[in-house]
Amino acid sequence: MLSGLIQILLFQSLGEVISKLLLPSLPGPVIGLALLLCWLIIRKEINPSLALVGDALSQYLGLLFVPAAVGVVLFLPQLKENFVSIVCALIGSVMLTIAGSALVLKAFGHWKKLND
Amino acid sequence: MIEQNSITEIWVYLSGSPLVALFITLVAYQIGLTAYQRTKRNPLANPVAIAVILVATFTHLIDMPYDKYFQGAQFIHFLLGSATVALAIPIYRGVGSLKNRAIPLLTALLTGGAIAIASGVGIATLLGADKNIIGALYSKSVTAPIAMGIADRIGTSPTLTAIFAVCTGILGAILAPTILNLLRIKPWWQRGFPIGVAAHGIGASSAFSISAEAGTYASLAMGLHGILGSIAIPFIYKLFN
Repeated sequence: MLSGLIQILLFQSLGEVISKLLLPSLPGPVIGLALLLCWLIIRKEINPSLALVGDALSQYLGLLFVPAAVGVVLFLPQLKENFVSIVCALIGSVMLTIAGSALVLKAFGHWKKLND
Repeated sequence: MIEQNSITEIWVYLSGSPLVALFITLVAYQIGLTAYQRTKRNPLANPVAIAVILVATFTHLIDMPYDKYFQGAQFIHFLLGSATVALAIPIYRGVGSLKNRAIPLLTALLTGGAIAIASGVGIATLLGADKNIIGALYSKSVTAPIAMGIADRIGTSPTLTAIFAVCTGILGAILAPTILNLLRIKPWWQRGFPIGVAAHGIGASSAFSISAEAGTYASLAMGLHGILGSIAIPFIYKLFN
């Protein structure tokens, strides 16, 4: 388990360094994610220790953003003021996004059927 | 009298250490998780939403200001970066499903990602929302840990972004089945992927509870949207601000 944690921290640190030096617009952890993904694709396997730590982190992913999300208490008056526009934006946007990407997949399916 | 003093002393000592913040965060999340499992993964019983409400209420009751709470809870917060790196694992597991369907899936991802920003930002702007609210809507369809990283880079509020991302996930998980049925989308992979594009991890979790194939495609979409979003959103944000 320790070696899995070391691997993740190593890729995270590499990501932070690259983000600082070369790609300031990309968050360090995302660069770390991309590097780890490339590493896994090259190695063609996930070692058990990495899988153990990775799955534990993914399983409790929600817990990890609770501390930041509790900060919502500082925004309550503003959220109240903008309530209607936020609700409309969130509901409208999520519906359109699901419908749009689903229709693209459906269109490709039809096109493939016509060609077969 | 003496007894009361010592209780106050213990309380002063405890509330100064990270213990209280860590403890209430973990307990609140555990309660949320239990509620989620008891309701057979009902998206409305979202563990994050429940934990946030419980912690916010409790810290208010004991008069603990947010920055003091965060000081203690930052040990949990720190793991967000590591968890983001670990997202490579579910993406890697899903990459196999990408092989024969790469073009339709990537086209759907690009379309969905563009619609998510255009419609979210567009509707909020039309209705006259405040500038920082609109800014936090840019990455709301990206999985929360990455969305917060993006928010940090483009200078919008990571907290608001996380809240909007969680709400989007809950709404997506609730609304997706109806929308997909209306559009007569039948294959599981075609149903799962759009949920992941629009509603990231929360959507993927609800997709998994219906079909493993839908869940795998939803997690793949969530991961790819995370990578795409962190590359594209800073540029798009700069374009309009």
